Amino acid sequence: MKTQVLVVEDNPADVELLRWALDSAAVECELTVIEDGGEALAFVQQRGKYLGSTAPDLAILDLNMPKYDGMEILEAMRASQVFASVPVAVLSSSSSPRDRARMEAFNIGRYITKPPDLDEYLRIGLIVKELLAEQSK
Amino acid sequence: MLTFRNMPIRQKLMVIIMVITGAALLLSAVGILGSDSILFRGYLERDISGLARIIADNSTAALAFEDSQSAAETLAALRARSHIIDACIYRPNGSILARYTRAGATAPCPAPRAGDSLEFSRTDLSASHPIVLNNKQIGTLIIAYDLGEIGERRQLYGGTVLGVLLASSLIAFLLSSKLRDTIAAPILHLADTTAAVSKTKDYSVRAQKLSSDELGVLVDALNEMLAGIQSRDTELGNALLSREDALFQAHTAHDSLETTLASIGDAVVSTDLEGRVFFANRVALGLLGWSEDEIKGKPLDDVFTIVNEFTHARLANPVAKVLREGEIVAVSDHAILLSRDGAEIPVDTSAAPIRRENGPVQGAVLVFRDVSSRRRADETSRLLASIVESSADAIFATSLDGIVASWNSGAERIFGYTANEIVGRSISTIATPEHQEERPLILQRIATGERVANFETVQRTKDGRLIHVALTISPLRDALGRVIGASTVARDITGRVQNARRLAELNASLQRTNENLARSNEDLERFAFVASHDLQEPLRMITVYSQLLVKMYSQGVDEKATAFVGNIVGGTQRMRELLADLLAYTEVGAELEDAIQPVDLNETLEKVKQNLNMAIGASGAEIVADPMPALRVHEAHLIPLFQNLIGNAIKYRGTAAPRIRISVETLNKELRFAVADNGMGIEPEYHDKIFVPFKRLHGKAIPGTGIGLSICQRVVERYGGRIWVESEPGAGATFIFLLPLSAAAEELLAKEKEA
Repeated sequence: MKTQVLVVEDNPADVELLRWALDSAAVECELTVIEDGGEALAFVQQRGKYLGSTAPDLAILDLNMPKYDGMEILEAMRASQVFASVPVAVLSSSSSPRDRARMEAFNIGRYITKPPDLDEYLRIGLIVKELLAEQSK
Repeated sequence: MLTFRNMPIRQKLMVIIMVITGAALLLSAVGILGSDSILFRGYLERDISGLARIIADNSTAALAFEDSQSAAETLAALRARSHIIDACIYRPNGSILARYTRAGATAPCPAPRAGDSLEFSRTDLSASHPIVLNNKQIGTLIIAYDLGEIGERRQLYGGTVLGVLLASSLIAFLLSSKLRDTIAAPILHLADTTAAVSKTKDYSVRAQKLSSDELGVLVDALNEMLAGIQSRDTELGNALLSREDALFQAHTAHDSLETTLASIGDAVVSTDLEGRVFFANRVALGLLGWSEDEIKGKPLDDVFTIVNEFTHARLANPVAKVLREGEIVAVSDHAILLSRDGAEIPVDTSAAPIRRENGPVQGAVLVFRDVSSRRRADETSRLLASIVESSADAIFATSLDGIVASWNSGAERIFGYTANEIVGRSISTIATPEHQEERPLILQRIATGERVANFETVQRTKDGRLIHVALTISPLRDALGRVIGASTVARDITGRVQNARRLAELNASLQRTNENLARSNEDLERFAFVASHDLQEPLRMITVYSQLLVKMYSQGVDEKATAFVGNIVGGTQRMRELLADLLAYTEVGAELEDAIQPVDLNETLEKVKQNLNMAIGASGAEIVADPMPALRVHEAHLIPLFQNLIGNAIKYRGTAAPRIRISVETLNKELRFAVADNGMGIEPEYHDKIFVPFKRLHGKAIPGTGIGLSICQRVVERYGGRIWVESEPGAGATFIFLLPLSAAAEELLAKEKEA
């Protein structure tokens, strides 16, 4: 079975770039993309249409989203039995140390600032690959 | 020395008795002793002669037969007489046949003498007796007798006499004491009585008659004499008493009149018909300045001068008029007494004739009084009245039920009513309908003695205007302290109230403007933050996707297209930098959540050098810094400050490698930092402009957004300091900034220095 990756990201352009990055790093995975914070919350809380949702191998969360931001989704994940131990990589457009510090409390795998350069963006694929490798050990 | 003549009678008696008895006893003792001595001597002679004869007779045989042993036995019989010292029997040739000596005797036996003889020596008696046989002397007996016995007898007699003498003296002494009671005591009593009378002058004392002898007669005579003296004394005393009584009454009457006059608080001077002073009381003497002795007999005009208070013209002496007309005269208006020492004393004066019940005038009495305190009081009240009258405030008095009693010109000006119009009317005349209730309530409090200060209200003037007044209302009291009314001081504060209102309105509008400004400033900051932050995202997309386009379709596009994409990427890059700097600039103004911590600027500088590592390495810059203090600041502010200044020094370098010196010194209340370089320098006309955001002096040749120095200025100003540059083109630039020393920073600085 392919590696399951949950992507919570409201910007399709970023999702596209993320696919590029994972492809170029040769990460064999199946992406579940949720573009809305509310939906993402329902998913991790297994509510509504996500009643039977299962935990992915990895979650990539965008921190800056309308309605619910990544922080709230992260909180809900850590509070749920199913999602509590899922490794998380956080994507953020903020490089502020304060935001970074706030995330530390949630035991996240990687904190990645969305890079303003294509080459750097593609490197995210390698980071995710690294994280997955750590988890399978 | 106590001679017999001066002895008390009792002792005299005793001495006489003792001397008589002693003399009689002594004489009889001497007689007895003498006769006894003679008698004893005769007896002794006879006794010893007889004894010698007996012994001699008994020793005849022993001597005749030379029997010394029997002779010794005969002599031994003498042992019975203790006073016999020695006894010897001599042979005719003078040798001793036998001897008896009393134990202890040592003297040799007395020599034998011819015949029968007795011989007295001082201590003993020796008897020599011939021993005869057949009328022939065959030896001699000698007996020595100790006269000590006579001495013993004398001692015995002497002792007896002495004992009798002592006993008789005792009896004589006891007898004399007894005699004193019968003879001396009455005499002593008499003597005591006369002494008491002469001492106390109490002639009622009488001597006690203890016997009917000559002493008794003497006592009677004395008592009779005392009785005579006593009756004379009593008569004399009575006469004296009645005289003193009369004198005392006269004195009392005079004294009480004089005391009354002297005690009067007013000055009193009396004159005779000629106007000469014959009496002046203490107050008068004090006011006039004369002594009692000096003033008596002086014409009144010489000592009493009154003048007019204002003109100083001499006023007529009222006494002269009294003596002339026989009527009472009073002078009270503005009279001033000139006292002897020149003092001016305001007085009220009156004079009256002295006459005895409808009799002729005998003189005049002048009464005057120092009224300076009353005139002062008059003056004070005139002064107060003029103050009240000239006051700009309204001052008026009302009764407790609010009827106006007085109304000054200030009140006329403020309220428009004249005193004539309002005195006697109720104070509610000036009350507005809305404030009609205030005055009665205030007057109730005044009636209890309270004072109401600065009570602000609105009142109505005669022409109907409403004015703001501040009222201070105090109780008015009569002489007994009872509240009888209220005095009101009313100040027109209409102008002040209107000004205050205008000021408050102005203040409110200023505050509104201020709030608006603050809000718009805040909005602007938020806008800048959001804009710079959120605009980053689309720019990132443009950049990344442009790059992606070139990457994916590098085969299908020509060079031109590649160049265009390069321009897009460059433009967005540039815009991203501008936005990032704008964000940095707005963040300096933002509140930071982190608490201010002491920051060691040495460490801060190290971090800055780390950040500028590339530029420093590429330019070969040399950076020298003084030891830096620690400051209570946010390091997030200090890093861009130093980084921009040092970065600029490297960026705008001259031809030589950059040399940058960072110094710090403590001024009075500030720290003065300086970052000096050897770079290209800045024209003086741009010294201010370089701090304006996005203002740059250089084109693309030297990259930059022009926000760096603006951030520096913002940081420095945020901490209450200022920053400027000192530079000439080609001579390097020195950026100087001052940071005020807070107490905490100073403390840290001090610690730093100690270390």
